[in-house]
Amino acid sequence: MEEKKLPDVLKKETTRRDFLRGTAAAAGSAIAVTAIGGIAPKKAEAQYSVQTAPGTKPYAQKYRFAERQNCTGCRSCEFACSLFHTGNVRPALSRIYLAKYKDIVDVPVMCWHCDDAPCIAACPTTPKAIQKDPKTNGIVLNEKICLGAKCMKCQEACPAKYIRGNADTGQPLICDLCGGDPQCVKACMEQAGNPQGPCLQGRPVGIGVNMAFRDVTPDQAGKDLANLLFYPNVEGKRVVPAKTKTKKGR
Amino acid sequence: MATPKGGNFGKVLEIDLSKQTFKTRPVSDEILQQYIGGRGLGAYYAVTEYKAGKNALDEDAFVFVGPGPLSGTMAVSHRTCFAHKSPYTGLMTHAETGAHLASEIKFAGWDGLYIKGRARKPIWLSIVNDKVEFKDASKMWGKTTDETHEMMVKEMKDPEIRTAVIGPAGENGVPFACIIVERYRAAARSGTGMVFGDKKLKGFAVRGTKYAVPVADNAKFLAAARVNKEGNMQGEAWEGIKKWGTGGLMELKHFLHGSLIVKNYTTTWYPDVVKLGGEEAMRTFWKRHAACTNCPTHCLKLGVIRGGKYSGLVAEGPEYESGGLLGTNLGMTKFDEMIALIEACDAYGLDNISTGGVLGFATEAMEKGALKPTDLDGLKPKWNDGDTYMEMIRKIAYQEGKAGKLMAKGVKKMAQQIGKGSEAYANHVKGKELAAHDPRGDKIRAYSYTMGTCGGDHHEGQGPQALGMTAMADSLCICSFTNFLVYGAGTDKVTTDMLNPLCGWNWKTEDYWTTAKRIMTAERVFNVREGISSKDDRLPIRMYKEKLPAGPRKDAIFTDADQKDMETKTYNFFGWDAKGIPTEATLKAYGLDYLIADVNAAKKKYNL
Repeated sequence: MEEKKLPDVLKKETTRRDFLRGTAAAAGSAIAVTAIGGIAPKKAEAQYSVQTAPGTKPYAQKYRFAERQNCTGCRSCEFACSLFHTGNVRPALSRIYLAKYKDIVDVPVMCWHCDDAPCIAACPTTPKAIQKDPKTNGIVLNEKICLGAKCMKCQEACPAKYIRGNADTGQPLICDLCGGDPQCVKACMEQAGNPQGPCLQGRPVGIGVNMAFRDVTPDQAGKDLANLLFYPNVEGKRVVPAKTKTKKGR
Repeated sequence: MATPKGGNFGKVLEIDLSKQTFKTRPVSDEILQQYIGGRGLGAYYAVTEYKAGKNALDEDAFVFVGPGPLSGTMAVSHRTCFAHKSPYTGLMTHAETGAHLASEIKFAGWDGLYIKGRARKPIWLSIVNDKVEFKDASKMWGKTTDETHEMMVKEMKDPEIRTAVIGPAGENGVPFACIIVERYRAAARSGTGMVFGDKKLKGFAVRGTKYAVPVADNAKFLAAARVNKEGNMQGEAWEGIKKWGTGGLMELKHFLHGSLIVKNYTTTWYPDVVKLGGEEAMRTFWKRHAACTNCPTHCLKLGVIRGGKYSGLVAEGPEYESGGLLGTNLGMTKFDEMIALIEACDAYGLDNISTGGVLGFATEAMEKGALKPTDLDGLKPKWNDGDTYMEMIRKIAYQEGKAGKLMAKGVKKMAQQIGKGSEAYANHVKGKELAAHDPRGDKIRAYSYTMGTCGGDHHEGQGPQALGMTAMADSLCICSFTNFLVYGAGTDKVTTDMLNPLCGWNWKTEDYWTTAKRIMTAERVFNVREGISSKDDRLPIRMYKEKLPAGPRKDAIFTDADQKDMETKTYNFFGWDAKGIPTEATLKAYGLDYLIADVNAAKKKYNL
C-alpha cells in the first residue's frame, strides 16, 4: 500500500527533547551579550517579511496600514523619511510623523492614499500640483506649480488632518511612498521585535484604510487608542496618587 | 579655533537667568575632540571655570545640558546629560535621561545649553530653534511635574515640545530632587532639581524644526550607523530589555544573581518579589512599550492600574531601580502601592533611588529604636506600609514638619543627626544612597558605586574599562543598553567608526580610550580638589561587616581584599596613585597640564 503523502513537517517526529534543545539554543543566543562579529540574518525581516514566498516578488506597497497600538513612539519612521527625502535627518520635514495624545499614546499620522484623493481634487492649479503616480499610488508634488503656504487647499481637504507645511518652503509635505518602497515601513519592520509586532505595514490593496481610517483625525485616533489600552482611564487623565499642597513661597 | 566639520554646530546656548539674556558660546572642534559633549564637556567647563570649594548653589553656578555629537542622527543616541556640581554631595556630577530631548536640542541648532544665574521670581524657558523666551512660571510654581508639563504644552500650543521640569521637591530645595523629562523620564541622582529650584527655574521646553545635524561624510557615516543599529537589534537588548524593560531584572537578580536589595540592604532574598517584578507587571499592568528617539529597544513600559484604591493610575515602571528601592527595599507586597509610590516621587520630582534609600533607612532606624515616632511627626514607618510611605514622600517633597526636614537631608546626614549606632546601617557612598544592586552579591557593581565620579551610583561602569566606556557613553550621550552592553570589547571600534565620518575626525581606537580616561581624570581632579581620595572610595560599613543571610549568594561579604583589588585595578587603569590622586605624568599624557597646580594644592591642603 502506498504511503499517504504528508507534508515534511508532519512526517518528522519531534520529540519533546528535540523541542527543548531548540529552545535552549535560542535562549543561549539571547544571553550572549558581548561583541558581535558577523551580522546574522535578520530575524525581524524574516518574520514580518512582505514577501509571499521565497523567490516570489514582494508586494507592491500601494497602501500602508498602521497597527497603532504597536507604535512605541521611537520616531524611526520620521528619521528614515526625512533622510530619504532631504538627505538629512530632520523630522520637521518628514512625510510621516507622530502625534502625542495626553503623553500616554503616540499616533503615527500618515497618508492613507485615498482612492478618491480629496487633496488632489482640492488642488486649484492646472495642471494639478499634486498628482498620483499611477504606478506606485504615491502622491507626487510638483514644486514648480504648487502655490505653497498661501493656498494649502489640500491641507484643508485632507479628512485625516495629515498634511502639514514644509517649514522652509511652505509647500505641503505629502507622501510619495518613496517610489514604491516606503522607507518608514522598512524602518518600523526592522525595529519590530516587541511582543506585538510592527506598527507600519505596506500592502497592495487598500481595504480598510480608505474607509475606516481616513476620516479619523490624529486626536480622535489618540482617544481611541487611549480607550483601547488604558481603560478605565479612558480620558488619559492624570491621576496623581499624592495630594499637592497649595503654593508656598520660599 | 576650528569649527566642527560635523556632528556638532560649534554652538552652545548660554543662558543667563539673572539678566534674562542669552548668547551663543562658541565651542571649538579641538575641545569637542577632547571632551566630546554631555558629561565630558560639562566636566571641562566645571574644572576650568570653578575654583575648589565653589558653592554649587552660587548665582553663577551652571547646569550644562548636553546632547552628544551622535544625537539626532541615524545612530542610536538619545540620552541627555545634565552635568554640574552637585549640591547634595559637593562633587562633580552628571545625570542622564532618555526620551526625545537630546535630538530636539540638536534640531534647534545647539550643542548644549549652559544655564547660569538666578531669576528673581519663578520663570521657565521656551527654546524654539534660535529663539529663547523667558516666561513667567508663577502659575506653575508648586505644581507637580506632570501638571507643569501639561501647562507648558498648553501654553506653547504644541504637543511635540520636549520638556524638562522640576516638581515641588526641587522648588523646596530637597537636595535629591530631580528633573523629570517629558513626564516619564528622570534625570536624577545629582540634585539637579535643587539647582533649578534655587535658580527659580521651573523648567524648559525645546522645539527644533530648523536644523539638521551636519555630517562630514554621509555615506560612510550611514553605513557605520547601520552597523550600530543592526548590532542593537540583535543584541541582548533585543530579547530581554525589549520585552521586560529593566523590571524583569527584579526576578533575575533575586533568583539568580543574589543582588536584589531587600529591607535596607539586610538581605537579598525576598520571594515576594514575584508580586512586584516584571512578570506581575506583564500580567496585570503593562499596556504599552515606549521608546526613546530612534531606539529599537523601547525599554519604558506604560501601564494602568485597574481596580483598588489607585484605579485609573497611569504610570511607568517598575524599572529595576525604582521597583527595587520603592518595592523590595521597603518590603512591599502590593503591586499597586509600589507603583503609586514610584509615581508620587515622579510627580513631586524626587529621585526614586535616594527617596527609597531614605525611607528604608528610616524604617530600620525606627525598628532598632534610633528613631522615635516623635522624631517623624508621629509617623511610624514599618515594612510594607504603603500609606505611611506615601505620607513620608509628601513630607520630604515639601520639607514639611520635623519629619520632612530630617528626611530631606538624606541618609548620611540623617545618621549623623540621630546617631545611636545608626551609621552602621546608613547605606551611602560619598553621601549618596546606593541603588538597587547589593555589592556583596554583585561585587563588580562596587566599582560603579565607589570609583565612579558621582558616588553611590549604579551606572558608572562595572570594572575599570567599563568606567571608561561609561564616561564615553555619557559624553556621547548614548545609552549603555545600545552601546557597550551590546558591543562589549568591540565598543571602541563601533564607536570610532561612527565618530570619524560624522565629525571628520581621525580617531583610532586608542583615542577612544585616551578620551575616556581624560574625562574620568578631569572629573576626578574636580573631586580631589574637594577633598576626595581613596579613603572615600569605600562602600557602606554594612557591606564589609554583615554576611548575606540568605539567597543564591548566601554568606557573601565584601572583604578588604576585594576593596584593595578594586582600588589597585582602577587606579592603575586610569593612572592615579595609590591614594587615588591623578599623577603628574597622567595629567600630562591626557593633555590636562592645566590641572597640575590644582592637584598639588589639593594634596597639600588635604595632606594626601
